[in-house]
Amino acid sequence: MDSSWKLTDAQLREWLSGLIEGNSVVAPVEEDGVLLFRPIASEDQAIVKPSGKTRWSPKEFLFPRSEALYRYNFKGGSVQLEDPSLPEGHQVLFGMRSCDASGIVRLDEIFLSGTKDRLYAARRENTTVVSTACAAADPECFCTAVGYSPVGEEGSDVQLVPVGEDWMLRALTDKGRNLVGDAGDNWAEATVKDEKEIEELEKTVAGQIERSPVNREWSQVLEEGFEHGAWDRLAQHCLGCSVCAYVCPSCSCFDMNHDANAFCGEQCRSWDACTFPLFTHHASGHNPRETRQERYRQRVLHKFAFREENDEPFRCVGCGRCVALCPAGLDIVSTVAAAVEAIREEGADAAR
Amino acid sequence: MTEANVTVSQVGTGSVPENWKPHIVALVCNWCSYAGADMAGTTRLEYPANVRMVRFPCTGRMSPLMILRAFEQGADGVLVSGCHPGDCHYVQGNLVARRRFTIFRSLMDFIGIDLNRLHFAWVSAAEGHKWAKVVNEVTTAVQEAGPLPSFENPEGWDGIDLPVMEGSGPQELDQGQLDAIRTNLRKAASEVLKTERVGVVVGYGAGALLDQTHAVLITDTADCENLEWGRSCRNNLSAYVGSALEKHERVAVVAKTCDLGAITGLIREGQLRRDQILVIGVQCPGIVDGLELATKCLSCSGDPHPICDLVVTVEGVHESCEDPSTSALDTPDARDEQIAHLESLPYDERWKYWQRQFSRCLRCYACRAACPLCYCSTCITDKHRPQWVPTSIDNQGNSAWNIIRAVHLAGRCSGCDECSRVCPADIRLDLINRKLSLEVERQYGKIGLDPEEKSALVDFRMEDAEEFIL
Amino acid sequence: MPLAEAVPNPYQPSLVRIHDFSDETRDVRTLRLQFVDDAEAGSFAGWEPGQFGQFTVFGAGESVFALANAPWRPNGDNGSAPTIECTFRMVGKVTSALRAMSKGQVIGFRGPYGNHFPVGDWKGKDLVFIGGGIGMAALRSAMLDVINRKEEFGEVVILNGARSVADMVYTEEMPAWQEVDGVRVVRTVDPGGENEEWNGEVGLLPNVFEGLGLDPEGRIVIACGPPIMLHYLFLSLGKVGYSPDQVVTTLENKMKCGIGHCGRCYVGPFSVCRDGPVVTWAELNELPKDY
Repeated sequence: MDSSWKLTDAQLREWLSGLIEGNSVVAPVEEDGVLLFRPIASEDQAIVKPSGKTRWSPKEFLFPRSEALYRYNFKGGSVQLEDPSLPEGHQVLFGMRSCDASGIVRLDEIFLSGTKDRLYAARRENTTVVSTACAAADPECFCTAVGYSPVGEEGSDVQLVPVGEDWMLRALTDKGRNLVGDAGDNWAEATVKDEKEIEELEKTVAGQIERSPVNREWSQVLEEGFEHGAWDRLAQHCLGCSVCAYVCPSCSCFDMNHDANAFCGEQCRSWDACTFPLFTHHASGHNPRETRQERYRQRVLHKFAFREENDEPFRCVGCGRCVALCPAGLDIVSTVAAAVEAIREEGADAAR
Repeated sequence: MTEANVTVSQVGTGSVPENWKPHIVALVCNWCSYAGADMAGTTRLEYPANVRMVRFPCTGRMSPLMILRAFEQGADGVLVSGCHPGDCHYVQGNLVARRRFTIFRSLMDFIGIDLNRLHFAWVSAAEGHKWAKVVNEVTTAVQEAGPLPSFENPEGWDGIDLPVMEGSGPQELDQGQLDAIRTNLRKAASEVLKTERVGVVVGYGAGALLDQTHAVLITDTADCENLEWGRSCRNNLSAYVGSALEKHERVAVVAKTCDLGAITGLIREGQLRRDQILVIGVQCPGIVDGLELATKCLSCSGDPHPICDLVVTVEGVHESCEDPSTSALDTPDARDEQIAHLESLPYDERWKYWQRQFSRCLRCYACRAACPLCYCSTCITDKHRPQWVPTSIDNQGNSAWNIIRAVHLAGRCSGCDECSRVCPADIRLDLINRKLSLEVERQYGKIGLDPEEKSALVDFRMEDAEEFIL
Repeated sequence: MPLAEAVPNPYQPSLVRIHDFSDETRDVRTLRLQFVDDAEAGSFAGWEPGQFGQFTVFGAGESVFALANAPWRPNGDNGSAPTIECTFRMVGKVTSALRAMSKGQVIGFRGPYGNHFPVGDWKGKDLVFIGGGIGMAALRSAMLDVINRKEEFGEVVILNGARSVADMVYTEEMPAWQEVDGVRVVRTVDPGGENEEWNGEVGLLPNVFEGLGLDPEGRIVIACGPPIMLHYLFLSLGKVGYSPDQVVTTLENKMKCGIGHCGRCYVGPFSVCRDGPVVTWAELNELPKDY
């Protein structure tokens, strides 16, 4: 048990203070009434026991909303290229939920597989994730319905588990143990009884989630029913913004643009979403996904289907933010369930 | 750019470098001001060299986007100059521009740009002396104002406490009354479908979460049973009318009173005809945003407006369809106090307030998507030849986006507040849009629900105010 | 070494100079590019037919073009300095800016990306290349690779279709292809696209193809063109007896990153830039109609 400790709230805050000294610490704060991840300068800025999830995921601290991929200037009549400097210093992402930590692993699967992304790799390597297991489910949460857990360890280096007024702190990886360092010497060791709390917590929180499970086999049904008329009907009210993609912990699509003047410029990448009409718009005018409904279908299938193997996790981690925040009131889980039902009842080829 | 390669002086600790000189961009019209500047040159008049000119055919062509772009790219001040009213080479370009500049200027002030940085002038081709004088004045003013503050989230700033908004809201409706209204609404919808007055009814259906609804397009009388009514009927359904009309000749839309301004706007701007739409106005309990009554509801009675074709209340359904030219939508707005409070603060506090707000902007364009009056088939942000609104999701790009959307809505915005409701970052778009509505009203009068009335920024009068124009 | 230091920036291009260009049609141009930096030229690993590159017009943006000349291979016999050719149509912001550039000017190149035509598997077989319009550009590298060592392959038919005579590309070099023993070039324009001098076929590509009466047995079809052309061509191929495994095409989709990260080019689970663009008709049938 040398990686599991029991801390009082005060001890946790003391530890957090210490972290701020050597690292850039990002934690949930309240800004103009919105719970958000922001860098903090002192531990009292952090809301360590927030009443719900942050408004959006912490992915921007690994995958910024915008960043320069490379820069250039036109001095001396030719073009000089320059790599942006790698982010320096160590960052601690503190207080994210298990769903958000899983989201980071989903991002790793994109940016660190095949050709690796230099900037993401640098940030990722210099980031330690301290997650907080959930004390309660938000109304929109459905992690358990998609194969995730409110106490899931995926993506976390250190996991905090609320135990009454106190905390259990579990270092799950080497990075986590490094972050704890010798602060652990001053903490009580967690007991087997404490560890049992995790199971209890999981049961309690899972019990608050009222969604029926999304079956792994449904992926195939959804894929087979690609042409089914239900997709049109189910997404009729999509307004075509990108709130869902931008608040999502596992969405990673981006656009690349040049921003330049006569002297210099840069290739900049910014968040983008498959829900926007220009996403797949060809210069010739052809667009494989002309309608909002086709674009929404792509989103659903990307999250719940199109996996290499059936036992791979869904890309949707069940945080529910898209359901809570969609301006049009779309709900991805009921869309999946309704599509599967329609495709099964009417056959994969049935038009509307 | 995510980090400007152009050297931009920053107001960091408040001290300005000793030999700092401002960068000023002048947008000048070709026929008068450019010629006037030329004359200043040929008559060897002296004036500061800090001003870079960009020549336009007419002030009418100068979009606020271009002024914004100058600031984003590092200008400390902008001067806009054109022909005197009545002398425009294109007859009325400057007259339309005058209104646009008035409103834009008030927005820039509201956002926290020191108005010593933004100047407008009428300089004719013969007024070489005036040009020199104007440039002198403007350069002095911008020199005093100092370098433009940076577009960034003010770190460590404590924020502003806005006054709490108050109002009693619509009359209380108990569950029994709400049920009655819902039943009547379902009857009304069923009736208009059955009698084929319309091909589809756009209404609210139950959503997945407890207090959620979403738009439903009902073509079958049996499905009218799915229509909901209550405090979670938030969307402005007129945003769906356009696509409904692609498949049906006539559309019925369930409308709260706050939704009507958008419908009028769409008719006014030729996006739909009055005969294509049947408006079902419904007695509204006020909508709940989060846990509280939405701001826009605080001063509203909730009564359906007689301009609707059908009116649904607790008692029943009756035909209405009052003449729009006689009707007004007169609700004082609870947020006017918050606007006044912001306006009482020094401009650098306002700047910090809005830069903090814009630092949260994700450029999800939910505001645009939910707004019934943002119906451009290709939004200005999606136009890339040239890319007027920067794609980068940083304070510069975000400021440009939010400001230009507000300007595009000036005089048109119906105050339905959908934009601020749907914003995932809780940006106070309602304050910006309401501020511009107030300004338009103050300068050019109020227009109501009559689609025949012209909206202020496509109109002009010779006597429009111009006290700020040099 | 920390992971991040070992990871190169996948987005920084190499500088290449416009050595030369030729105009195929009024809006289609072929550029010949050479590396600015000798060291980069020296370490360039070349490409295989079917792969593509990302070409940067500094200040305007990046665009994807097929690598169109015969594949340059280090230690091959193309000459010591690698030359990259790309054929592009002026259709948007980047291509318009590119079109305005002159000899000697510098652009960016990164690549090669994607998979390639399995030219090795075609040895000894009869081949039909079917290119519609600018689709020829995506096939040219494979065609030239085959023509340059024709003796390793069976009969080669090149069927090129375009909307009109003015839209035909590579017209200057086709006579040279025709002269190679065992290579037959058939050209067609859509009905109405012919002019008085035209001595080729007149008819839609799928119809002209059927008219050739080529025996499907053991033959490989390599096709590229606009989606609508491919759709009808596949119908014809099926009718005439080709199985989906015998037909290879190359997909075009909107691409930005080129390395499977930005999400844009996905067709179902298939990333065109990473898993394609070369794909068989059989593989295409497994994918949703989302391209």
